[in-house]
Amino acid sequence: MNGNELSHALRQRNKILAILLLFLCSTVSQARIKLVALPERAATVIRLDNPRATLIEEERVLTLQKGLNKVDFSWKGVSIDADSIRLRPLDHPEKVTLLNVSYPPNEAALVWEINSDSDFAETVRISYLLSNIDRLITYKAIADKPETYVDLKSFLVLRNFSGEDFDKARVLLDYGEAFEQGIDHEETKRMLFLKAPKVPITKIWKFDSDEQPWDPEKLENQNVGIPVSYRIVNETNPATARSAATGSGLGEFALWGGKARIFQDDGHGSTIFLGEDVTDLVPVGEKTELYIGDSRDIVVTQRKMTDNRINLIKNNKGKVILYDTDEVITAKIENFKDGLAMLTVIEHIPGEWDMEKCNMKYKKKDANTLEFEIKLPARTEKGPAVKELTMHYHRRNVRP
Amino acid sequence: MKRIILILLIIVVINSVSWAKVDLVTLPSRDTVQLTIYNSADMTLVRESRALTLKNGKNKLQFSWANTLIDPTSLEMLPKANADKIDIADLTYPPRVRNLGLWNIDSGVSGKVPVEITYLTSGLSWRAFYMGTLTNDERTMRLQGYVRVTNNSGEDYEDAQTRLIVGKVHILDRIAKLARRQYPYGRPGEIVPLAGAPVRMMEAEGRMVMEKAADLALYKPKEIKKEGLSEYFLYTIEGTETIPTGWSKRLLSFDVDEVAVVNLYKYEEERYGNSVVRFLSFKNDKKHNLGETPIPGGMLKVYRTADEQGRLSYTGQSSFKYIPVDEDVELNLGPVADVVVEPKLMDFKTDNYRFNRKGNISGWDEIRTFKVEVKNTRELPVEVKIQRNFNTQYWKLKKSGNFDEYEKVDLDTVKFTLNLKPRSKKAFEYVLTTYHGVRQEDW
Repeated sequence: MNGNELSHALRQRNKILAILLLFLCSTVSQARIKLVALPERAATVIRLDNPRATLIEEERVLTLQKGLNKVDFSWKGVSIDADSIRLRPLDHPEKVTLLNVSYPPNEAALVWEINSDSDFAETVRISYLLSNIDRLITYKAIADKPETYVDLKSFLVLRNFSGEDFDKARVLLDYGEAFEQGIDHEETKRMLFLKAPKVPITKIWKFDSDEQPWDPEKLENQNVGIPVSYRIVNETNPATARSAATGSGLGEFALWGGKARIFQDDGHGSTIFLGEDVTDLVPVGEKTELYIGDSRDIVVTQRKMTDNRINLIKNNKGKVILYDTDEVITAKIENFKDGLAMLTVIEHIPGEWDMEKCNMKYKKKDANTLEFEIKLPARTEKGPAVKELTMHYHRRNVRP
Repeated sequence: MKRIILILLIIVVINSVSWAKVDLVTLPSRDTVQLTIYNSADMTLVRESRALTLKNGKNKLQFSWANTLIDPTSLEMLPKANADKIDIADLTYPPRVRNLGLWNIDSGVSGKVPVEITYLTSGLSWRAFYMGTLTNDERTMRLQGYVRVTNNSGEDYEDAQTRLIVGKVHILDRIAKLARRQYPYGRPGEIVPLAGAPVRMMEAEGRMVMEKAADLALYKPKEIKKEGLSEYFLYTIEGTETIPTGWSKRLLSFDVDEVAVVNLYKYEEERYGNSVVRFLSFKNDKKHNLGETPIPGGMLKVYRTADEQGRLSYTGQSSFKYIPVDEDVELNLGPVADVVVEPKLMDFKTDNYRFNRKGNISGWDEIRTFKVEVKNTRELPVEVKIQRNFNTQYWKLKKSGNFDEYEKVDLDTVKFTLNLKPRSKKAFEYVLTTYHGVRQEDW
């Protein structure tokens, strides 16, 4: 490399990843430092498989001389984890040995001492963790009008704020083929990387008595929204198995967490925006629930009708030390929708308890959580479809 | 003002791949534009169609949106023809340039290609409001619903098909916030990077303009088509609308006459104090000439026809929530003095004392006798609902006198309903026994 090229390389706006090859003649003690080469970066790989850190691997050809070589690796304006830097000779791994690494004071640099058995033009792979370059995943789903499936698209967003321009790099995710992509400093690129048509969805309405207000009438001029979610399972859909085989379906790899925006076909060749949510990582076979918005056409009015202490046990002083309760909760559920809906109602009963009578079937999710799946018929000419849940239970051995 | 600019750059690859000549070819304008405006969040979905002239090979399309409130992460472009031959490879947000996106398009066709560009923007909004006109006898009401669409987006949308969404959408970030980000997706490690972007004084500016626009709001009524989608309702305004930035427009949503109303009065000390509060009650159903679609929440101003000449008197106003089809509506018009509810404690005594071993009181009953007098001084029949709260679940009630309905609302609340003729009085009594201390065990 001539001086011009070098100064050009050094001029690069506050970001330099430079390698200076120094070699030592004859003796180690008196080093004659000579700039041998500033090798160009060859094959570069940006590995984004770990969401917490981005690994850069680059190959450079070092002109090594027989004996001890010193290679100076410095960086400026970029944030490299110095402890993560590794060097691996690729052509003559047995004959080229990395002896040690030293860090000069107050400098973003290190010096490798490499022993070479003879003169080699050695290709080495340098890898390091680079900060401020990463990827995001976003999703866009378009539901059909009856809300039975979504056409799912996933986008990969590359963000490079590392201080380094990458003209051409192979970008590797944790699955799928690597692809070539250049990305400059401060540049953001969005690419479509997954298309999964006709992914079945389940629409869920959920009333949780710990989260939603009980009596809408007591809220002046406010609707109580019943949260509505779409449940999507990361599995191969038999209906679209053929396209899945060509790599466009779900059920092949974990879906990364990210923001999902959900739209719906309006039946007029256009769409409406339904809502957005963030999904966590969804491993194969697992489900995710995306909260899209609130339904105001299902109204739950929950009230406590009875709450008495019974079976009192008193101490010698006549003070109650233990009692049971007799509690009745009713929930009137009205469906003002034109279609039927499966409403999940979550009720909570603290402590020890047993159910005296309940007019609907429930599943015990845990010791204190009851889940009801209530099928609500559509509204009729006569008015909303109404169901009433009544729970009569006793909390046992309550201490005052 | 046209702030969204679309520039098509065609990169003509000459000889070698390394040297490309960037050539500005066309500046396609919008062919159609559709606005879907939300009212639960400051958000509008814009869908525009444009015809691009593409060349076989690599094309670059530059889209800029300076001084608008577009969320750059929501931008998407889809070809509407030859979709299999046109690959929109990626969208790049170039470094050190704000409000600019570059689409890289690989085209297998040459010539005009219709594309659809969608994005979310903030700054457009709509709200519903209502005018009610009661007949002189207050038995029926003419109900007029309006929508008012305001454009403060910074972009003029000409001849736009305008649609309004009624519903509560779950969103994570405000679109206006996303629009003002320095980098569309932020920087790694940063949560909300905000730049010192010029923030439009939307509120103040919007209000000023709205006042101006109100005088001009004399538009020929257009029909608004209403349909349900998912949990929302979609209102589509007939034809197209042009709402320049800074302007707003009022449109008639519906006009229904003879909605039967009930003059309902409520009394509940814990909620309304010692006054009677007037409600106007009706139902969003066919019987009331309504019930076609839910009614979006908004403010209702109620007037009453005061005389034969149709002069009006202003009764009051009430904001109300979203009303599904078939649900009862109760509009709070505020406290009144012409219907009076007077609960009086007529007698108080205690009874059934229990004592513990030390000889102290451990339990007792409190017996209160209430007389409730209800007066209707109006020349109209009224319905009065009186709710009483007891602060304990250990109670018993004996009631007597002139009431129409009695209901236990929940463990410590009861409700009496009375219908009163014009200029009439009713009274009823109840004896409330509450159990205290160990007497609760005998309840």
